[in-house]
Amino acid sequence: MMIERSLKYLDERLGTSSFARGAVRKVFPDHWSFLLGEIALFCLVVLVFTGVFMTFFYTPSAEEVVYDGPYQPLRGQEVSAAYDSVLRLSFEVRAGLLMRQVHHWAALVFVAAIVVHLCRIFFTGAFRRPREVNWLVGIALLALALGEGFTGYSLPDDLLSGIGLRIFYSVTLAIPLVGTWVTFLLFGGEFPAPDIISRLFVLHVMLLPALLIALVVVHIFILVLQKHTQYRARGNTERNVVGKRFWPEQTFKSVSLLLFTTAVLTLLGGLAQINPVWQYGQFRSFDVTSPAQPDWYIGFLDGALRLGPPWDLTLFGFTISEVFWPAILFPGIAFGILTLWPWIERRFTRDRAEHHLLDLPRDAPARTATGVAGLMVFFIMFLEGGNDILGVLLNVPVEVITRILQWSLLIAPVVSWLATFWVCRALKRSEIHPARTSAGVRLRRSPDGGYETTPLEPTSANPE
Amino acid sequence: MRADRQPGRLGEGSCRVRRTATLLGGVALLALLLTPATGTATSGLAQQQPGTSPALFARGRELYQQACASCHGPDPAGASVYATVPSLNDVGGAAAVDWTLRTGRMPWKDNKGPAIERGRPRFNEQDIRALTVYVGRTVGDAQLPQVDVARGNVERGRALYAQACAACHGMNGAGAALGGQNIAPSLQNVSPLDVAEATKVGPGVMPPGGGIPDYDFSSAESTQQVNDIAAYVESLKTRPYNRGGAPIGGKGPVPEGFVAWVIGLGALIVAARWIGGRS
Amino acid sequence: MEVDDRQREHGPPGRGLTAAQRRAERAAAVAFTVAILSGIGLFVVYFAGGQTQLEGVLFFLAFGGLGVGLGLWAHRLLRAREAVEERHELTSGAAGREAFGDALAAEVGPVLARRSLLVKLLVGAGGALGLALLLPVLSLGPAPGRTLKETPWRRGSRLVDEFGRRITLDSVPEDGFLTVFPEGHEGSADAQALLIHVPEGLLRLPPDRLAAVPQGTHVAYSKICTHAGCPVGLYRATERSLLCPCHQSQFDVLDGAKPFFGPAARPLPQLPLGVDDEGVLVAQGDFYEPVGPAFWDQERR
Repeated sequence: MMIERSLKYLDERLGTSSFARGAVRKVFPDHWSFLLGEIALFCLVVLVFTGVFMTFFYTPSAEEVVYDGPYQPLRGQEVSAAYDSVLRLSFEVRAGLLMRQVHHWAALVFVAAIVVHLCRIFFTGAFRRPREVNWLVGIALLALALGEGFTGYSLPDDLLSGIGLRIFYSVTLAIPLVGTWVTFLLFGGEFPAPDIISRLFVLHVMLLPALLIALVVVHIFILVLQKHTQYRARGNTERNVVGKRFWPEQTFKSVSLLLFTTAVLTLLGGLAQINPVWQYGQFRSFDVTSPAQPDWYIGFLDGALRLGPPWDLTLFGFTISEVFWPAILFPGIAFGILTLWPWIERRFTRDRAEHHLLDLPRDAPARTATGVAGLMVFFIMFLEGGNDILGVLLNVPVEVITRILQWSLLIAPVVSWLATFWVCRALKRSEIHPARTSAGVRLRRSPDGGYETTPLEPTSANPE
Repeated sequence: MRADRQPGRLGEGSCRVRRTATLLGGVALLALLLTPATGTATSGLAQQQPGTSPALFARGRELYQQACASCHGPDPAGASVYATVPSLNDVGGAAAVDWTLRTGRMPWKDNKGPAIERGRPRFNEQDIRALTVYVGRTVGDAQLPQVDVARGNVERGRALYAQACAACHGMNGAGAALGGQNIAPSLQNVSPLDVAEATKVGPGVMPPGGGIPDYDFSSAESTQQVNDIAAYVESLKTRPYNRGGAPIGGKGPVPEGFVAWVIGLGALIVAARWIGGRS
Repeated sequence: MEVDDRQREHGPPGRGLTAAQRRAERAAAVAFTVAILSGIGLFVVYFAGGQTQLEGVLFFLAFGGLGVGLGLWAHRLLRAREAVEERHELTSGAAGREAFGDALAAEVGPVLARRSLLVKLLVGAGGALGLALLLPVLSLGPAPGRTLKETPWRRGSRLVDEFGRRITLDSVPEDGFLTVFPEGHEGSADAQALLIHVPEGLLRLPPDRLAAVPQGTHVAYSKICTHAGCPVGLYRATERSLLCPCHQSQFDVLDGAKPFFGPAARPLPQLPLGVDDEGVLVAQGDFYEPVGPAFWDQERR
């Protein structure tokens, strides 16, 4: 009764009912690989909730205070107010450490989910017309997620993230021509610039989330407008969408996935320690700790820097730092190719048609091979980023690992491209799908004891 | 065309729930078990200044000839047998002998690791004392360091540790690779005597004095500083240190990222496969 | 938009739940009950003072229970109907675009088409204003100037450690090392230097650089890695080489801290040292080269 009255109230003023009726009946295809983007979205929900809680406790200031909280080894130490506030949140605020850890685990899983979602889009060709714009929005979201992550874990002003900030400072310094200016404007002066803490806070809490959330809304809006893509199956065409309705099926499934995401993140946040900043201590520009790595999603840059050859260039009295190649040129080219991929592919395939049916990876061998080769490049860089930890694990000197990965960087992408291309072509010819289970058979017994089998028709969830 | 629902799919879902639950439970268990053993903790031996008993010295010499002379040479103060083996004359004296024997690093094991790894001690306490006395007196460096962790101040110790030790051993004592065959071992399970002896000796590529300014083995100030550092190293074992949960090795973002992918995203992809359709 | 319902239901229509559905309903009920109990448990834990691990597990059970329950409901208890929706044409079509073009041109076209002086001035004004609006960005930081090429080290600066203790020739044992600063600038980020005591006769420096090493044994280099700026805090005493933990650049202390492995391209700048009348180590000037990572105009004076 109450619900009816409320709906009537809204409809009389906003005309919601007819709009909502359409929304409720909207059809979305049902495959699990279409839920990867939702995993990322739900991680973002968790990030916003835990993040807002933490902003009430964080002090974005580099002003020195004397720590006198319950963590004994740091008592009497001069630390920044930012670091002090994070320690207070971790040790003295009930559920504070849980919020911090859930937030950090959510950030790691958020970017991982985006990457896996991006791979699904890429390998199924979902970026083709008419979805190029949404591809650009997605790449922008990936970049914003990386920025949010980096600014976020630098906020506690601990030794490990401070070292990372120092490296970021050196990378911006290495920008040709304007590097020193850009760096001094960004940071507010020479390292360690005290202003950077409050600036990172504004970026992390206001600017980047605003852009991120706005673009997420655009991303979903375009998706709803253009309708979701679907895999090929009996009954699926380029002119229809086959699946389940928004209400009740998809709503229940999405809410269930949201709850699972929150469950997994809170379990990790409670049981698995992450970023124990009290152990690292406050940042001081002359202190260092080993091993020293950034969060995983920045790891490819760290690995690139470790791999990078020691080639600096001096031309006409001006210097190009050795840091330029791995930290500025390589990511620039890699992200450029990624961003422009729909148009790069179109150059080769000359395919200007609208596509609402998805490819299987084998259907586009060149695209799949390029994707695998690209992932191989990043994977090698990620491995190199942890080369000292890998070395201890495998009982191999760090230098050997570096040399092997340097050579791999030259050889592995080419080899993997060729191998993937060949495998895709072979699969396409043979018509075998590795994960397909048979649609089943209808078994009919005959009166004299024999039986005959007729295969069942495949469904949209089990396409040919 | 009609899109069929397959018969026989009714039972699959509950199978998938069980599988999902088992998988989730398994990976949660795995996460908790991921804390690696950081080596055997040696029992905290009380300070033993080598006694002057001639019997102990003789026992030490006998053990030395049996177990050490084949590599280190017949005379500890003289040259060793192989170029790659250091002479015991300048490795740090009694403290070095006591430390390597107590932590099981010597006698040499056939290990292929990048550093001489901790292990179970191959001699009992008496024999270690005998060898320490013998080698120490023969090379003229017979004093063992005194350490009293109860007298150490953990706050000063942390500051000193950050100055002198953290670069190689990590602020949380997790240890790190040092290039080539060198490793700074984990300090998360060592005794105060280990700290004191290693600081004096500077084993492997570690600087003697441990990087502590004005380090002088016999001075009261240095002894107090070592007590402080030992107190901080002791604190690495306490509960507030890991109040966030399983430390996952304590090596920072690399294992954390691994867990996020394998356990975090892995569990969620399993959940997505249960929730969504499959093909 | 046309929507066509194709009904495929679990079990016979209108005859209530099947056995499997009843099982699912019970399982969902259990899951929801677990969630309720965990919620209550969270109240208990919180008011008892809170405990991170318990909180995490209880939230997991609460969210997970709800999620499992809803998931079971979605899978088994809904009449899962496959539905088909027709896609609509995304484009407005040529006619639609033409109409929009006409609307635009009707309102704005004539002014632009005349390309008058007014329009040119408008563009100029917009440009000038746009650039002027960017000016506050320059207030974000100081000009780099010579900041990156100078440190607080001066001729006569006494060496101290981070606690302010003056450093003499005896402060560092043989094969030992220490982080040092100019007195009065303890903790300075760009002045940080490493004082290393190497055994006599091992240093292989050119004569003018060797002259700045007291007794030929106490040499000082900048601690800031010339690759990406991390403090090069790892000294391998018996190998007399420095290792930077960030990207594994390695520097040979005996050879002017030249990099011999890893991505660093330039040696660590040396700090010239001397000894004053009281036996305290002092600098003889600033580092020989700019410290830290390379930047565009570092070669220019």
